[in-house]
Amino acid sequence: MAEDLVLDTAIRDWVLIPLSVVMVLIGILRYFVSKLMRSSQVPDPKIVKEGQVIVRARNLRAAANFIPPKSFLSRRVYFSNEENGLLFVPKGQTQNAQAQMFSDPNMAMDMMKKNLSMIIPQTLTFAWVNFFFSGFVAAKIPFPLTQRFRSMLQNGIDLSTVDVSYVSSRSWYFLNLFGLRGLFSLILGEENATDDTQRMMQMSGFGFDPSKSLGAEKDGLDIVQHEWALPKFEHRAEAVLKKLIR
Amino acid sequence: MAGHSDSSSSEKKSSEAMNDVLVFSAENMQNNTKVIYYSRTFMSIIGGVIAGILGFTGFMGFVFYFLVMAITSIGLIAKAKFSVHSYFDSWNRIILDGFMGGLMSFVLFWTFAYDIVHIF
Repeated sequence: MAEDLVLDTAIRDWVLIPLSVVMVLIGILRYFVSKLMRSSQVPDPKIVKEGQVIVRARNLRAAANFIPPKSFLSRRVYFSNEENGLLFVPKGQTQNAQAQMFSDPNMAMDMMKKNLSMIIPQTLTFAWVNFFFSGFVAAKIPFPLTQRFRSMLQNGIDLSTVDVSYVSSRSWYFLNLFGLRGLFSLILGEENATDDTQRMMQMSGFGFDPSKSLGAEKDGLDIVQHEWALPKFEHRAEAVLKKLIR
Repeated sequence: MAGHSDSSSSEKKSSEAMNDVLVFSAENMQNNTKVIYYSRTFMSIIGGVIAGILGFTGFMGFVFYFLVMAITSIGLIAKAKFSVHSYFDSWNRIILDGFMGGLMSFVLFWTFAYDIVHIF
């Protein structure tokens, strides 16, 4: 490192700490706001029924080896029977359910609301940071980076000889954005609205849930090979009871 | 080790090995995974502050991060009384889970502490 800059204490007091504090507070605020704004959807009974059928089929698949072969087979026929099996849905119907899900105004509104509540605070904070805290060196990151990062991390600083480790406050903002996710999960408990990627995956999962997964469940159930896993359970029960008596 | 046992005091047995079939209780497993995640996050934050105060720079800092993660793993394994398979479904979970997420928090707090102590 060429030289060791000494930075003003005022920067630490008035830039680093307030920025972190503001981001933590905004995160907490967003969590509470999203909790309040969560509209309770009245679930469609048909969809709930289908969901429960899927859960039942899944349980059957998971625990298939613990019931005798005959009962497993009879249950499987009940589910995947061609005529009145619960999982068998004719082709025409599947298309319908999907289209309905997407044009449902409630779902769309909810997704929009959640996306918005994520994007707006981030944009506002970023604009605020750029406006107030640009043009000076804000922090020094303790590890060296290559020259290519210079334009990304040092956007307000116009000296090209300054070490890349000295960064502007914009990069402090991004560092906070990623690093505070862990902190939020600690202080806000399980549900926190700051993990964007998780929620997007959740959202896209809901749309396809009822119609496609019925077919998938049926296929899965057909594939399962039954292996009776408790052939000797009577002997084992006898052994356990004998131990207890002794 | 007191810190580790505090945060992971609610690990529950999640599998019973009956003959050759392993049954996993999904709820307990999820709880255990949560415990691992919390422990790692907590330790990476503390580790970041320590690394900053001690003045580690560059490579040394990342080595310290791996050290902290290894200590967390050992602590968790010790808490699970070394029978990992009765609490988790695979080794990878207890060793590698939450690694990357902790890295970002570590770097943030490392930068923060380093700047406050050494530069300003």
